[in-house]
Amino acid sequence: MGIKLSDGLLKSVEKPSRYTGNEWNSIIKDPKTINIRFAFCFPDTYEIGMSHLGMKILYHLLNERQDCYCERVFAPWTDMESKMRENNVPLYSLESKDPIKDFDFVGFTLQYEMSFSNIVNMLDLAGVPILAEERNAGAPFVCAGGPCAYNPEPLADIIDFFMMGEGEEIINEVMDVYGGWKGTGKPREAFLEEIAKIEGIYVPSFYEFTYNEDGTIKEFLPLKPHYPTRIRKRIIKDMDKAYFPDKIVVPYTDIVHDRIMLEIFRGCTRGCRFCQAGFIYRPVREKSPERLLELARKLEESTGYEEISLTSLSTSDYTGLEPLTTGLLEDMEERKVNLSLPSLRIDSFSLDLMEKAQKVRKSGLTFAPEAGTQRLRDVINKGVTEEDLLRAVSLAFNGGWNGVKLYFMLGLPSETLEDVEGIADLAYKVVDVYRNVPKEKKGKGLNVTVSTATFVPKAFTPFQWEPQDSIGNVHEKQMHLKDKIRSRQITYNYHENKLSFMEAVFARGDRRVCKVLVRAWQMGCKFDGWGEHYKYDVWMKAFEECGVDPYFYVTRRRQYDEILPWDHVDVGVSKQYLINESKKALEGKITPNCRVDCGGCGAAALNNGVCG
Amino acid sequence: MVNIRVKFRRGEEVKFISHLDLMKVFERAIRRARLPIAYSQGFNPHPGMVFGLPLSVGVTSEAEYGDFEITDDSLSMNEFIERLNEQLPQGLEVLAAKQRQTKQNIMATISASEYVVMIGTGHECTEKSLKAGIGKYLSQKEIIVKKKTKSGVKDTDIRNMIFDLDFGLQPCGTFNMIKLTMLVSAGSKANLKPELLVESLFEMLGAGYEIDRIHRSKLYVKVQEELLDPMDGKVL
Repeated sequence: MGIKLSDGLLKSVEKPSRYTGNEWNSIIKDPKTINIRFAFCFPDTYEIGMSHLGMKILYHLLNERQDCYCERVFAPWTDMESKMRENNVPLYSLESKDPIKDFDFVGFTLQYEMSFSNIVNMLDLAGVPILAEERNAGAPFVCAGGPCAYNPEPLADIIDFFMMGEGEEIINEVMDVYGGWKGTGKPREAFLEEIAKIEGIYVPSFYEFTYNEDGTIKEFLPLKPHYPTRIRKRIIKDMDKAYFPDKIVVPYTDIVHDRIMLEIFRGCTRGCRFCQAGFIYRPVREKSPERLLELARKLEESTGYEEISLTSLSTSDYTGLEPLTTGLLEDMEERKVNLSLPSLRIDSFSLDLMEKAQKVRKSGLTFAPEAGTQRLRDVINKGVTEEDLLRAVSLAFNGGWNGVKLYFMLGLPSETLEDVEGIADLAYKVVDVYRNVPKEKKGKGLNVTVSTATFVPKAFTPFQWEPQDSIGNVHEKQMHLKDKIRSRQITYNYHENKLSFMEAVFARGDRRVCKVLVRAWQMGCKFDGWGEHYKYDVWMKAFEECGVDPYFYVTRRRQYDEILPWDHVDVGVSKQYLINESKKALEGKITPNCRVDCGGCGAAALNNGVCG
Repeated sequence: MVNIRVKFRRGEEVKFISHLDLMKVFERAIRRARLPIAYSQGFNPHPGMVFGLPLSVGVTSEAEYGDFEITDDSLSMNEFIERLNEQLPQGLEVLAAKQRQTKQNIMATISASEYVVMIGTGHECTEKSLKAGIGKYLSQKEIIVKKKTKSGVKDTDIRNMIFDLDFGLQPCGTFNMIKLTMLVSAGSKANLKPELLVESLFEMLGAGYEIDRIHRSKLYVKVQEELLDPMDGKVL
């Protein structure tokens, strides 16, 4: 009964196969036999959404259930959106092409803040009321999860309920409750009341905030005494037993990550203080090499993909890397499958491994020192020294590589011009290393690329109390660095930091920024993550109209005793630990890798007291 | 090493994927089917696969062709078809496969294509008036259209690219559906897109129109001035 799109419409838009479904391994069910229909929405384009591992897992997991049909929905690109609006075509799912406003659930995955305006736009395009309070009987439940759900408040007026943490178990528990509620004729609230008892579920309409005169939060109040005041995230304890699909949808059109993604572990032991992922995904839990080899074989067989990529926050930290890669190379040799190894730390083992795995030209290697001086690297707890880096590039140059990408952040807490100049110094030292490598060993034509991003302080990190550096300051630092880099062998990339400003608002925003989001969308904001669509001035006007001061969220230093908008969410890492880390940061004291010395962050409690 | 020519169908479900993406679909289907396809040497091995004339996005076809190189002489054509079809998405289906001896691949030899184009028009027309109109259209010495080329829009005479043009008329309420069956030049030397023919025809008729669907029904290769089916024994 799905929507029929005319040929003329589809021919008039870019890459129409993004909108027609029918890909290999996509799931086709008869909706008439289904009790629960779930629209899994990714608030960005098909190419980006289809590259997201979490969606692949939960899509197949939900479809394992006989009573449930999970279908995929992506944000149509602007050309398709205007055609849909012109022709009164509502947002539909790729599998059945049914309008999603008739589904039981519309679920969004929140991967980055700058996709929030697309959520509003997609709900509108679907014909689903944007605000939770406007949804009545018959409307779908709008839910959300993913890393940005840990600070749920900027979306509190829109989302009916959030699922905190890893979704594999909690989503099934919610579906079970829904199966019991559906058809009973009980009100929507009754279902929400029921799932609020599940660990990890947060129903924002069950709580209210009061504020102090200075705008800070006074109190977070449950509307009924039995609502939980702390929402604890969910984790999967045994990664080998966790559900993982043995087939995944193979798209027709090129997507960003068009390959098998093999998730080797969750969490990270490094404790870099700027990195939200490093804290919210704790504790570290690995899959065994045996399980991964089994999955790789099954996935290769079911997809026909020609490339497998290892996925994690830090490939080199995987304790079974050697047996896993040896096994994969052995298994996949005959099948002509390439192995790609992102986020490897460069040492002789990994260079050797790359040589074996990737039969590609030795062009570029990527390093992320993040800061230009040892002092600042200690502040952010990036456990990399200048010697480490120079030794690694020397190994790489001696092995024939001739391109190096260096990633840094500008605007880190306590940063001075000396730290900024340190970035240029480091790049010049890399050039010197190349010069000293014998001619016969190194590749021709050195190319060092320095890229800087603007630091955005995030919730649940030791820097969550820090102000973001102002747009003007960061711009000055960019210009200063540009001025310092005057070698033809070094390219400097940077971008406008007005986007980072808005990201900073939503990364640490509270409930009051939600109306700004809706207003900005009304004024035409969407696809903010796409440079050509981001409208900073319109956003600023929306803040002004709503009487909300964005600087309150971006450039203000918070006090340790301030109630933060996300304090009611429990990611495992304690606030006291983050305070200690914050203090250590400003003293320039480092914290060792969790495997060397447990820092007692608190996350171990989630996993029966065991990490790794 | 065995060379195989394959004829396949491309239906509604897959008519919006691009030519490049279609090749990926076949490559992955062949990998899943574990068919012994030959790979090229070098850094980036490519499977031995060549496809005929690319089909425009939105067009269906029952006459698509591809040449495959496989390494196992003992594989029967039936088994090849069966195993590949099991791994192809809905809408793609191998209809026939034959061994070929000819060195010329399909891409290089295609010279004509037959299309069936369904056109809706609000213009009043009868069998008789259409017959006269098409007769007049074909009697022109030259038919100049604006053809898009790599270097821009160019005036091109397409008369010599039209070999045959037939029609059927289906009244449909206040609307007339016209079914045009056309045999036109195709391939690397001269290629006429059906849309261009339709555009110039209706311009001459002075009628508004809308193309409802385009379907490729046949594809021909030329052997000694004779148009032949690419699967014909004389071709292979």
